[in-house]
Amino acid sequence: MIEEFATLVDPNDVDDAVLEIEDFSVDYGWGDSAVHAVNNVTLSVRRSRVLGIAGESGSGKSTLVYAVTRLLRAPGVITGGTARLSFDDSSSSTDQMTTLELTTASERELRKIRWSRVSIVLQSALNALNPVLRIGHEFDEVLKTHRPDMNKSERRQRAAELLALVGLNEERLARFPHELSGGQRQRVMIALALSLDPQLVIMDEPTTALDVVTQREIINELAQLRAQFGFAMIFITHDLTLLVELADDIAVMYAGNVVEWAPARDLYDTPRHPYTLGLLSSSPPLSGERRELVGIAGSPPDMSQPLLGCSFHARCPYALDRCSQEAPPLRVIDKTGRKVACWLHDADNVVPGPLRRTVRISAPTQVVNDAVSGSNQAVVL
Amino acid sequence: MSEDVTQLEARGLTRHFVVRTGHGVFRPKRTVRAVDDVSLRLDAGRVTAVVGESGSGKTVLARMLARIVSPTSGELLLEGTSIRARSRRTLAYASDVQMVLQDPFGSINPVHRIRHSLERPLLIHHTPKNEVDDRAHAVLARVSLEPPERYLDRYPHELSGGQLQRVSIARALCVNPKVLLADEPISMLDVSVRLGVLNLLRGLCDNEHMAILYITHDIASARYIADETIVMYAGQVVERSNGTRLIDEPQHPYTQLLIASVPDPNNPLRRAPEVEDRNSQGLFPDVGCRFAPRCPHAMDKCRQVAPPIFTLSDDHSSRCWLHDGHAVEVSLAERAQGGSISTT
Repeated sequence: MIEEFATLVDPNDVDDAVLEIEDFSVDYGWGDSAVHAVNNVTLSVRRSRVLGIAGESGSGKSTLVYAVTRLLRAPGVITGGTARLSFDDSSSSTDQMTTLELTTASERELRKIRWSRVSIVLQSALNALNPVLRIGHEFDEVLKTHRPDMNKSERRQRAAELLALVGLNEERLARFPHELSGGQRQRVMIALALSLDPQLVIMDEPTTALDVVTQREIINELAQLRAQFGFAMIFITHDLTLLVELADDIAVMYAGNVVEWAPARDLYDTPRHPYTLGLLSSSPPLSGERRELVGIAGSPPDMSQPLLGCSFHARCPYALDRCSQEAPPLRVIDKTGRKVACWLHDADNVVPGPLRRTVRISAPTQVVNDAVSGSNQAVVL
Repeated sequence: MSEDVTQLEARGLTRHFVVRTGHGVFRPKRTVRAVDDVSLRLDAGRVTAVVGESGSGKTVLARMLARIVSPTSGELLLEGTSIRARSRRTLAYASDVQMVLQDPFGSINPVHRIRHSLERPLLIHHTPKNEVDDRAHAVLARVSLEPPERYLDRYPHELSGGQLQRVSIARALCVNPKVLLADEPISMLDVSVRLGVLNLLRGLCDNEHMAILYITHDIASARYIADETIVMYAGQVVERSNGTRLIDEPQHPYTQLLIASVPDPNNPLRRAPEVEDRNSQGLFPDVGCRFAPRCPHAMDKCRQVAPPIFTLSDDHSSRCWLHDGHAVEVSLAERAQGGSISTT
């Protein structure tokens, strides 16, 4: 067995970042009753790469992206931090990238970048599409607003092209959302998001409401579209195994904090945060011996109460005394540049076995049919 | 052992819905065959899983078993006694067969305390008033919500999703049912608490010999918990087998597609499956195999004649013409490459 690391990428190398989020905090409500939904999150998405954000409901993953894109409504308030969006500005003559600070941008500036630079695909396509408008109307509206030079037939042409991209027939333009299946609606949403060729597409649980076969089709399609157009993507989901296939880097969020941020394959093979480990062992495997799994004991903390120490310490099997007192910062812990917020990886601690391992342990034995000899071989992958 | 006692049996359960299609007053009627000729047995001490995508008829099946929806045809037997399909659901039936619904946030009344939700079924089922409180305590302890006093006077919004789903299971257990019908009990829960609920169901089955029907679209969780797994497609049972065999050696092309679609980073051999003709999805042909339009192995025969169920081994059967008279082997490697099914 060899120690393998997927393409080693330093998450700190943010030279070509499309979006840089630093020290970002979001509250719901004001004063003492505020719920701290996102606490000092630092993340970045690099050009043409996929950042996966995994976390359970209430971990702040959706709040983070809504706040960053300034879509968050009251009582959500951005209480600190910066979010810089870099994009090539076609209107300026230089090749230099234009940088826009999203947290302080005016409505007018935001209007310029929304959809054309950053677009978003929401979880529930049924709610995101207007039920009394035909699909074609949605496309028409976007193009009319952002591409005023296009005439009606050009817009229709473009809408048909976009639908074709996601494998839908042109005749769907005349349909209402309720006439489409869940998967088709989600495809329409993706086509809409791509309609102005954005550099960054944010996907907020786009496949959660779909069944597994449709999810697979959409994931395959996203991979193709990304290969074709090269947009960067933030993909939010609670399904960590899905992200391992799809994302370049994964950030795991828990109770408003990023607890681990690493290249996707490393995070899956050798998790370093007890919560990541717990999440990974919470999904029953599709192969191997059937044995009892335990998941993570307890339930996520109440975010309206002030949290002392690490947000995960009450559920953590490896918690130290220190964990209930001081919140661990997100720090780089090894040469792969992965970042973990956990005291266990602090200087003189003995890291528990499962969080120390360097190769994956769950290598399944598979019977591979040898086409030449016709014999079956057991191959350890 | 009481392992083999069949608590609830369904024979040829069928439910058709008639819908109007298109526009206008004289638009034609169309029959949707939501569940077609499904037979299954729920034994004490066994978990039977029904797996299928949305629209496969698994929820309608559970509702027929709970007698919320009356079947078009078919027979239900509770402990060997036949129940007339069209007769009304009785209190006695409801006390033997209970249902756990998908969304605990929607299925527990938000304006009442947990105590109310637990005591109501007890009162409806004529439990003596002086026992009600004790029974409510006991049932919360059975689902590991301890101490019960901490939960009885809470409101649903004060509990987490996992805790609420436990309350929902406790409510079903109140009347001491023999059969539990769990319709997607974990799909609305957070990943980290799903296993807890699954282990709870498994425990009820092992320790209290409950017969459990576990409906899910998550085939990995079915593998984890089920003694028998049934795969449904378009209202029909397409494959069934015991233990983990169905998932480890799937035979029906739909089951293979279902398994290949699950993200599984542990298995780099697997390629993403190509799904053909996806625009036809949702429309099932009236003649021939219902899966034929999406099937990578579809033959002419499949489009003309609906396949019967072929028995592959003692406890493994598949509804596919590929298994007609042959023992079919599909190697994992071939399946991974989306190759054709070879006969040996």
